[in-house]
Amino acid sequence: MRPALPLAFCTIAALALSWRVTGGVTRRSESEPVDFAEDVLPILAENCLRCHGGVREVAGLNLGDERSVLAELRSGAKAVVPGRPRESELLARIASNDMDERMPPEGAALAPDEIVTIRRWIAEGAEWGTHWAFAPRTRVEIAGDAARESRHASWPRNGIDRLVLARIEEAGLSPAPGADPEALVRRVALDLTGLPPDDDVRDEFFADPSEAGYARLVDRLLASPAYGERFARVWLDLARYADTQGYEKDARRDIWAWRDWVIEALNADMPYDRFAVRLLAGDMLPDATEADRVATAFHRNTLTNTEGGTDNEEFRMAAVFDRVSTTWQSFLGVTFQCVQCHGHPYDPIPQRDYYGFLAYLNQTADADRDDDSPRLAIERAGVKTSVPVMQELPAGSERATRRLERGALTAPAEVVAPALPRFLFGEGAAPVDRLGMAESLASAENPLFSRVAANRAWEILFGRGIVETSEDFGVMGSGASDRALLDHLAGVLVDRGFSMKELLREIVTSATYRQSSVASEETVRRDPDNRLWSRAPRLRLEAEQVRDTALAVSGLLSRKIGGPPVMPPQPDGVWQVVYSGDAWATSPGEDRYRRAIYTFLRRSSPYPSFIAFDATSRETCTVRRIRTNTPLAALVTLNDPVYLECAQHLAIAARAHADDATAVRAMLERALGRAALDAEVARLLALVADERARYAGRDDLARHLAGKAATDSTDLARDAALVAAANAILNLDDFLTKS
Amino acid sequence: MHLPHDQIDPRPGLAAQTRRTFLGSIAGGAAAFSLGGIALGEMLAKNAPTADADPLAPRPPHFAARAKHVIYIHLAGSPSQLELLDYKPKLAEFHGTPCPDEYLKGEKFAFIKGHPTLLAPQHRFQRAGRAGLWTSDLLPNFRTIEDEVCVINTMTTDQFNHAPAQLLLHTGESRFGAASFGSWVGYGLGCDTRDLPAFVVLVSGDKTPDAGKSVWGSGFLPSVYQGVQCRASGDPVLYVKDPEGMLRETRRATIDAIADLGRAGLARHGDRETEARIAQYELAYRMQMAVPEAMDLTRESQTTLEEYGASPGTPSLANSCLLARRLVERGVRFVQLYDWGWDGHGTNPSDDLLHQLPKKCREMDQPVAALIRDLRRRGLLDETLIVWGGEFGRTPVAEFRDGNKNFLGRDHHPHAFTMWMAGGGVRGGTVYGETDELGYRIARDPVRVKDLQATILHLLGLDHLRLGYMHAGLNHRLTGVQGDAKVVRGLLA
Repeated sequence: MRPALPLAFCTIAALALSWRVTGGVTRRSESEPVDFAEDVLPILAENCLRCHGGVREVAGLNLGDERSVLAELRSGAKAVVPGRPRESELLARIASNDMDERMPPEGAALAPDEIVTIRRWIAEGAEWGTHWAFAPRTRVEIAGDAARESRHASWPRNGIDRLVLARIEEAGLSPAPGADPEALVRRVALDLTGLPPDDDVRDEFFADPSEAGYARLVDRLLASPAYGERFARVWLDLARYADTQGYEKDARRDIWAWRDWVIEALNADMPYDRFAVRLLAGDMLPDATEADRVATAFHRNTLTNTEGGTDNEEFRMAAVFDRVSTTWQSFLGVTFQCVQCHGHPYDPIPQRDYYGFLAYLNQTADADRDDDSPRLAIERAGVKTSVPVMQELPAGSERATRRLERGALTAPAEVVAPALPRFLFGEGAAPVDRLGMAESLASAENPLFSRVAANRAWEILFGRGIVETSEDFGVMGSGASDRALLDHLAGVLVDRGFSMKELLREIVTSATYRQSSVASEETVRRDPDNRLWSRAPRLRLEAEQVRDTALAVSGLLSRKIGGPPVMPPQPDGVWQVVYSGDAWATSPGEDRYRRAIYTFLRRSSPYPSFIAFDATSRETCTVRRIRTNTPLAALVTLNDPVYLECAQHLAIAARAHADDATAVRAMLERALGRAALDAEVARLLALVADERARYAGRDDLARHLAGKAATDSTDLARDAALVAAANAILNLDDFLTKS
Repeated sequence: MHLPHDQIDPRPGLAAQTRRTFLGSIAGGAAAFSLGGIALGEMLAKNAPTADADPLAPRPPHFAARAKHVIYIHLAGSPSQLELLDYKPKLAEFHGTPCPDEYLKGEKFAFIKGHPTLLAPQHRFQRAGRAGLWTSDLLPNFRTIEDEVCVINTMTTDQFNHAPAQLLLHTGESRFGAASFGSWVGYGLGCDTRDLPAFVVLVSGDKTPDAGKSVWGSGFLPSVYQGVQCRASGDPVLYVKDPEGMLRETRRATIDAIADLGRAGLARHGDRETEARIAQYELAYRMQMAVPEAMDLTRESQTTLEEYGASPGTPSLANSCLLARRLVERGVRFVQLYDWGWDGHGTNPSDDLLHQLPKKCREMDQPVAALIRDLRRRGLLDETLIVWGGEFGRTPVAEFRDGNKNFLGRDHHPHAFTMWMAGGGVRGGTVYGETDELGYRIARDPVRVKDLQATILHLLGLDHLRLGYMHAGLNHRLTGVQGDAKVVRGLLA
């Protein structure tokens, strides 16, 4: 068993550090006024809002709502009387020693400094404030290098670095050295294209690893069609894209044209605001093109329930609820789902605002039908298909949207007009329709829209967002580890015309990104979770990248883009399909070796090897996959015939080297994309020697293991041994991670 | 009731820090400092997830557990309670008469159209066991174990389609995306064995449940907690078998080489996740041996095979029951059995009450009774909880779909249905709750799905209110965010 104590102490260090750098609940100096959003709201959120929040409003008090806080309570008292702490019931209750009176009623009392903070806030006038994430972006002033004293004055390459360096230095640390070119080219290629770098890309960079050479490398990767495939993965998770309808029958659904639209839009670097408007309301644009309509299939990825006796209106509404929730999760990083039933427990969103927003999405003609109509017939990649799209009901037949008590269809309340939630969009005139909603949502003035996108880009590259809970920017989320950095990135996105490629270029050309993942012992000790970005992360590849990288290094990967989903080999019996004879039919030819993103996804039975690496079945919007390490993932890359086939091809490419050491070195370098260390070669050489001896005279076994390598084999035992070594190589930590 | 935050007990795992767990850890840490360093260590080890912690390490329950393992037998499609354990002689008396109007007001059925007529119990009932439980002749073996069993005749759900009802039963939500029962238990308690998965799923009757693999998915919990399907044919666990032609010694040698190179890397970069990965490969290697061994029914005696009616090699509920015992014996925390074919609408002989139901009961009754006897003999019944049932009930009225009266069947019925529990901490030999004369609605002591879930967690030593997981800004629980589920004391010994 692991000794508990050292682990715990590491954790303390991590917490202490994040405590300090989070900039959340710190005590103000005497001279500085208390700030509600910074200092008070976190205390209320942690201790009070569960009962005195938007859900329960115990005693008529919602501490997340300014009006409620200042109003007379049912008891006649006022929770807060600005400037008069002694008349404020809130303070009396939290400071009381009488257990019948004291709040919170159970558990520990508030800490003395928390009580002091609340008293000071009231005394100073109880000025209300907005949670940072909902407040306008700040224009981040970045001091020039000359203005600061720094031991690393020559380190920063751009604004990101100046912000990051300030905090690293504040902690008394130094940035990690730059990554070596081999590590860097593999990292940036995996990050931007989801694939290891092609040979010519590597060679070109190694020939000129200068600043200009790196810039060229980044240009080339961003221009590669593989870029769109890589980032589409993220959007397929957000959009809960799958090739079936879900629920009981989980019948097939043709919607792959939408997936292709995403890939193309990303590759064309469609500005993010235009991208969002097309996903949400492309059909309503003046002169909407066919592609604009296809984009709206984003929200037709909702589940359709075709089971007998189902109430179509119930499941139509389930889809609309899902669209509301997915819209807020994807673009705004706010958990909106809970407001379906009651006011938001922590964030200032009344239930009415939920239905006001829902009204924008409640006017489409789809209605949980078996055929997923309305659909748009199109021709793509030479294939005639049709794709379910969003389409407004004809004028005059609009639905009235009612607020639902407790979110229940059986309890409709008053009719609600379309409107945007006030906490974010203020009190101005409401847009009239879905297109207007989409345009307001995707505007530079909406602080969450750019912050969430910038955070997502950072999360993809660094494995963790600046707001770690990328699905929740609200009061109960993790908060931002560095708000200035987040707003700087959001500013870059907005200022450069919402170009996602420009934002990514800014990040990957920073010195921060180009650090080595190996840092000094002191840095690891004092910033164990890399909250300061004091080094590059080491991250296990995503499910799709594991497959794509194995296929790429073994030379099997097909680079064909788009088209209907494919069925690479999967074990027999995985699909046990209810009610239909639908079966998994392994794709022939190059479709067997396509990128993971093209693999047919049946919601009730997703491709098993992806699930082992934390992909999801895409039933709901997934903002963030949590990486896990399990024996089941190990079994995939060890034993799945797909990976064995990769090992066999890796061995075939290497066996021309007559010398085992050279063959092993070639396989290692091919798979890891770096020079092999002598010790690594020696260890695998020992493996090859042992296995050659073991398979000598056992031709039948050797032939099976060598598989394709057995054809034309001149030495079966050697080929089997090389396949065993290749199989080990495709399971090495350095293969499965980017660093 | 709602608990203050400091009573919520996030279990260790790979969850990201949220403000709540983060602040909770700080507050807890500060409090624990005064109690001494060890308390602090425990506090942080418990509340603060780290990337390299073992998410399946065994963890103490909230309070003393009555059961350590669960075998959950789900009969997908839902058997008729009115032919099995909820005896309603009035239905025979009023057989063929129109269902009284007061029952049908506002009622919607999955398939029935028009005004339905009452349908008599189609099989004979007799009393059995110390408590004299009314039991159908379709369950002769069940009568021998009735004294171990607590029959709940007043289960109720609000879902009347298979997939949503199965999701509600298994994940606490009728929509996709929530975590399944077994994954919650793995998250709450970890697992004693690391050679086998903590949460194993066995499927019989050819088909997975209507709601697909989501009923054993991990939803918003980290995927390490999802159920692992052990299959009757092919590899018992996907990819558990070495590639064809690979010798066991070769697999050992490759894993040793992977570990050696991993450790050399660890010395260079110090990434503790590498350590965790090396450990997972070792576990994978052990699992490769342990899973086929556990799944190999040929190791059982002929007597045992006959008692269960099991025959190695052909998937059946009998095999699943025997495998469940073998898995629990080896330390698996949660074994979920799914058996397909119980959806008795009466549209043809393969889904009716006179052919299909007796056939399914013959396949089910013997092995389930054998399982309980076997666990008792081996001293495992007291620490193993058995749960049995479908996702809803069947209507007291006949379905006669499209007017076809050639076969007898019943439609989906959410208002009242039967489940039973036996073993660890359960009050055996009792019936809980009562339905009305027609078995239509509940007369007294309803048990909602979330109450059953709270009760099962309670038997495992877990407080359903404290077993929470922060996701997307909400503290999710198996029993729902409202926190109004109740442990049903009347089911407990």
